[in-house]
Amino acid sequence: MSTAIRTTTTTIVTRVRDRAAATPDGVAMREKELGIWREVTWAEYWEQVTLVAAALLALGVEPGDRVAVHMENRREWLYCDLGTVAVRGITVGLYPTNPAPEVAYLLGHSGAKVLVAEDQEQVDKALAVADECPALERVVYVEPRGVRGRYSDPRLMAWPDFLALGAEHARAHPEAVAERMAAARPDDPMTLIYTSGTTGPPKGAILTVANIEYAVERLVLGGGFTSPPPSERDLSLSYLPLCHVAERAFTVWYNAAAGVQVNFAESIDTVQANLREVQPTILFGVPRIWEKVLASVEIRVGSATPAKRALTRFWLRVADRIGDALVRNHGNHTPLTRLVYAVGWVMCYRALRERLGMRRVRYAASGAAPIAPDVLKFFMGIGVPMHELYGMTENTAIATGNRPGRVVLGTVGEPHPGVEVRLDEATGEILTRHPGNFAGYWRDPRATADVLDEDGWLHTGDVGEWVETPPRRPGEEPMRHLKITDRMKDIIITAGGKNVAPSEIENALKASPYIKEAVVVGDRRPYLTALIGIEQDTVGEWARRRGLPYTTYRDLSEKPEVRELVQGVVTAVNARFARVEQIKRFAFLPKELDHEDGELTATQKVRRGAIANLFEDLVEGMYRT
Amino acid sequence: MSTGAPPETARPEAAGRPAAARRRARRPGGRPLLYTSYAQDMALLDTRAKKIWFYGIVLAALLASQVLVDDMLSLLAMAYVVAIGAIGLNIVTGYAGQVSLGHAFFLAIGAYTGAAISGDPDGRVLGLGVTSILVWLPAAGLAAALAGVIVAPLATRLRGLYLAIVTLGLVFLGEHIFKEWDQLTGGPGVGRPAAVVELFGLRLDRPGPLGSKEQQLYLLMLVLLVVFAVAARNLARSRIGRGFAAIRDRDIAAEVIGVPLTRYKLLAFAISSFYAGCAGALLYTVTGFFDPGSFNLLMSVQFIAMVLIGGVATISGSIAGALFITLLPRLTRELPALVPVISADTTQTPNVFQVETVLYGLLIVLFLVFEPRGLFGVWIRVRNYWKSWPFSY
Repeated sequence: MSTAIRTTTTTIVTRVRDRAAATPDGVAMREKELGIWREVTWAEYWEQVTLVAAALLALGVEPGDRVAVHMENRREWLYCDLGTVAVRGITVGLYPTNPAPEVAYLLGHSGAKVLVAEDQEQVDKALAVADECPALERVVYVEPRGVRGRYSDPRLMAWPDFLALGAEHARAHPEAVAERMAAARPDDPMTLIYTSGTTGPPKGAILTVANIEYAVERLVLGGGFTSPPPSERDLSLSYLPLCHVAERAFTVWYNAAAGVQVNFAESIDTVQANLREVQPTILFGVPRIWEKVLASVEIRVGSATPAKRALTRFWLRVADRIGDALVRNHGNHTPLTRLVYAVGWVMCYRALRERLGMRRVRYAASGAAPIAPDVLKFFMGIGVPMHELYGMTENTAIATGNRPGRVVLGTVGEPHPGVEVRLDEATGEILTRHPGNFAGYWRDPRATADVLDEDGWLHTGDVGEWVETPPRRPGEEPMRHLKITDRMKDIIITAGGKNVAPSEIENALKASPYIKEAVVVGDRRPYLTALIGIEQDTVGEWARRRGLPYTTYRDLSEKPEVRELVQGVVTAVNARFARVEQIKRFAFLPKELDHEDGELTATQKVRRGAIANLFEDLVEGMYRT
Repeated sequence: MSTGAPPETARPEAAGRPAAARRRARRPGGRPLLYTSYAQDMALLDTRAKKIWFYGIVLAALLASQVLVDDMLSLLAMAYVVAIGAIGLNIVTGYAGQVSLGHAFFLAIGAYTGAAISGDPDGRVLGLGVTSILVWLPAAGLAAALAGVIVAPLATRLRGLYLAIVTLGLVFLGEHIFKEWDQLTGGPGVGRPAAVVELFGLRLDRPGPLGSKEQQLYLLMLVLLVVFAVAARNLARSRIGRGFAAIRDRDIAAEVIGVPLTRYKLLAFAISSFYAGCAGALLYTVTGFFDPGSFNLLMSVQFIAMVLIGGVATISGSIAGALFITLLPRLTRELPALVPVISADTTQTPNVFQVETVLYGLLIVLFLVFEPRGLFGVWIRVRNYWKSWPFSY
């Protein structure tokens, strides 16, 4: 607003710059360091961004050059992302769990010039494959432990040296960064987001400055999700991989555009503890997280003293009723439920939410994968306003969302205002069209042509249907929510010729605290079967209470008692489905699924193809008579 | 507990954020677990509940001076002084883990120093006539601390049971000296007047502007207890306090991680004796007269009982234990009215004094077996029950 060189294009970088000028002492983010949540003010944030930007200029990063970031969620991730955008580079995020071959693929495919790696682990992965990536000129490492003084690769550079380089460049060319920023244009590619790729190698979706500005306008400032829109008073916890579009939106864009204070979790394993400390007001989670919280409540209630157990169980049953009422009323309380909730708040829900770290959550959302409605209902019942969202990388996460007070459970919500969503007449595939549709896949025009047609419609690959809700009061418009059946390519056609959406069955199974993974099999088979992975924490606790000794995950899942327990869950789920959709047999996965072993994608989605190959004998065993 | 706050610049990028150190730490409201600075992490009253309780209890204690009868006030004033002594013993025994049975000896030194400095120069026993509490109270504490420093080298050589026996020896030595030194103590069975309490020219042991003698002394003791307790609590969370805890947990390990054993044990005895000296000097100002025979083994054991019943290595526990032990006789006196079998007459069996003695023993045994963390442990248990609601952990 009051800088020497005015930029014509608004980007997230100019938004941070303007915020730093307006509220230099406001808190932009916090990260836990030696037990203390260190605060970073907007002025400090902006200073770091300009240093990184100048350092990238000094390293010769030209407009359109790629800068890869391979870190857990931390302050430096944001510094690098915004620094790259400031010099009109393209940020490429790598998942911290990516094994070396995938790192090689991503670095090679994107042609990254500079890589910012977090620590020795990531540096090792990069150096192991550096020779396959000729474009890679520099590897900046943030944590010096184990790297500094031990590694002699000339491409390595320590973070402080990197910043010093930036400071030096800024002294020599004080206006260089501002000039480069001023040249930014709306169609500049801003970031490559590699999709997780449940089939085939990951594809890099190009999001431009205009795409992201549209997302900011729709989702953040326009209050596409939250109501009222996010502000500086809101806190969020950043713990999902930042290379995923959802976390990028909730962390980087919410922060830059609305000033939401970002708090970085120490790691994915400490999320529950960090939630308690931070007590965020806006919380986004993937189904796995919500399922895990639900399971942890189950475990902890089960091991509480009898009086507490009885009381909590009672109030959780009440919460279930409140949840039912809320679902009927699209997330709105009736006077009766409000009264019951007030009593329960004093007795249980306030403390329960405090323990879960959701006491102050005013908006919670689930997305990125399908979730069982029961899980959402649990959170609604205890007073966490839960909303399911839908969007994908290719449309900058802009498609539909359940709005506060207009929730229809089991759907992913209504299209955002100004966003065109329709279903393909023939296949039922969901198509979206709006300025947030991506510019194409990086170096893959054929794949781009497959999903973006000439009319500008994005083919999402998801099959859906509309759910009409009659108006609650006369004179109101009826509500039209989108319900997603499944991924198109996941639809199972049984030998009897019946189409079955496996994810609905899988999520119903996964809603049980005892089941972590469920993969329904049955394509071109006479009946449906399932591979089931147990949740070791809850089943272990269950076994312990029964005095059932066990050693390993595999040993536990092979216990006949555990089979009986899971059979009970499967039977209960079967009762809710038509005959052809019932699970006739199931087998236990002998190990926990893992990204490193190629069974899961970086976003913890099951790779069906890999599972079918790896556990072929298990599957075949279920179809042998 | 660790041995010290890690340096601010433990990470290289800290150097790039100069403004952070200068800015006052703040945190978003309603999030007691979100610490944005070490000062918040270490704060004594770190939650609103603690603040409300602390100020509430202090206010209630202040108001009690206007509500309760003088007889009760003098008993409570006595209990507050005893609590100062119990805090002192808890520093050396609870925090630093050096078992001391010689606490009565240090109390005696304080009592006689205070009494001698403020005593009547023309009286029957030794007296210097300096009646200001600002002079004799620190002097009493320092004299006792000096005695503590002399004794401390023993503690660096001995530990556990051996140290307990040696400190027990101190009590016998002291008892003998004070019985024989008639000029200072007045001799056994006779005694001498206690220290004269005068603050800024105002005699607090006579009715004055703040009310009766008991009310004034009660308020004085309350203020002193708060000062001593806060100081001790502050010490416990400091580097020295963490050093004490390290020595208690394992002295060899403490030395390995860099706690100077000799110096810290010396410090523990000196500080503990300072507290004992101050408590000793104040103890008899309420009754006005004391006998050299009071500083016997029973007194040491009573202090040990306060620490054990109240809670080892806790300040609030020490205070609770002191109040409990001091008020116990008053409670047992009420017994004959409730239980007719127990007599108030010393010539009959069972009488209240026997019950009292039995109760001391029984309480120590029961607490050690069922609640080793004392009254404070009971409180922690209750607090955790509600804090972990609706779960159990």
